[in-house]
Amino acid sequence: MKRTTILYGSILAVAVAIVALASLRPIRVLPRIAPAPGFALTDQNGNRLTSDDLRGSIVLYDFTYLSCHEPCTRTTATMREVQDLLAAETEDDPPVRLVTISFDPERDSTEALKAAAKAAGADPSRWTFATGDPNLMKLIVGRGFNVYYEQNPDGSFRYDPTLVLVDGWGVVRAEYRVGPPRAEHIVNDIRIVANEARKSRGPARLAYEATHLFVCRTR
Amino acid sequence: MRRWIILTVAALVLVGGATAGAFAAGLLPFGGGSLHGSAIDPPLPIVDAPLTGAGGQEVRLADFRGKVVVLYFGYTYCPDVCPTTLANVARAMKELGKRAEDVQVVMITVDPDRDTPEITQEYVSRFDPSFIGLGGDVERIREVATGMGVYFEKQERGSAGGYLVDHTATVLVLDRNGDLRLMLPYGLTGEQIANDLRWALKQ
Repeated sequence: MKRTTILYGSILAVAVAIVALASLRPIRVLPRIAPAPGFALTDQNGNRLTSDDLRGSIVLYDFTYLSCHEPCTRTTATMREVQDLLAAETEDDPPVRLVTISFDPERDSTEALKAAAKAAGADPSRWTFATGDPNLMKLIVGRGFNVYYEQNPDGSFRYDPTLVLVDGWGVVRAEYRVGPPRAEHIVNDIRIVANEARKSRGPARLAYEATHLFVCRTR
Repeated sequence: MRRWIILTVAALVLVGGATAGAFAAGLLPFGGGSLHGSAIDPPLPIVDAPLTGAGGQEVRLADFRGKVVVLYFGYTYCPDVCPTTLANVARAMKELGKRAEDVQVVMITVDPDRDTPEITQEYVSRFDPSFIGLGGDVERIREVATGMGVYFEKQERGSAGGYLVDHTATVLVLDRNGDLRLMLPYGLTGEQIANDLRWALKQ
């Protein structure tokens, strides 16, 4: 009698634990989608900004060209909202950076980037505007970040407004493409990636990697 | 009754201990707890583009499938970072002993203007005769590098007549399927690299 009680008791306990883990989801992870591209760009102050400089930081990228009005201004507004929400966060470990990349280096000079950063209300310690070698932008932005853009004969661009979240190891963890994404949603994703970076050490790493096995890959 | 409790506890301790042990030894598929580099889980596909080997033949990274590939982007005029890294990788290969046969070390030059495939091959052979040096078209090289998060850029500063090439010093490890599996930061010792390669070989 007592043996069977213990036996059924243990089975029940295991079942309860599995259901609790599955439903409460104490661990949340974002999928590892692809390696983010390597790049060397020039920022709004004329300084070098390379992919290596950003290792160790969680980076939210957005892509634009400065002579654009709609829909570029929407992603810029989202970046600004994210910046403001992040300013209210108590933790900044790993540090979170915002990078706006212009894929129109021929027109978007360093001065233009500086003016755009100022107009957007960018906090220079967190949010950088940058662009690079015209011959390399398609490789970095188009193929590397998987952002479609094409120049029209009138000089404007057709493009898909996209924001991309990259972790401290340089791996893409989220892509926001459809509609203007909500800043709260992005900040929540940033928290998930930051939590993983902080806590995924030692035995906890096992639990995190196990969780990754159940996350769908999107690309 | 008491025996059951003791047995249950013993079983739990055994399972827990074995799991922790296997985890530490890197035997579990999602392990990597004792790695010096960062494991990419799940392994991610890379951008592959045709490069050129020392015999002038076309070489793609996919050609090395079946082996674990240790990939490094460097150049032969590189003053310190590249020789240090390649020497440490060579030491790691010695550490691996017989298992090194399942590892292929490849350096792709980031300075194809000066490094022909032959010069690159000749350079890496000095560290270990099994190493492969690849060169080719700068655009193809850049495609492969950029896709893996590696950048490189010519610097006009430097000594008279010469120039330096800034580049990402990370060592990349591809699994037997040719997917990106590990990123090793610059500065690991031969023993540390060997440790991580043993783990990659088990996957």
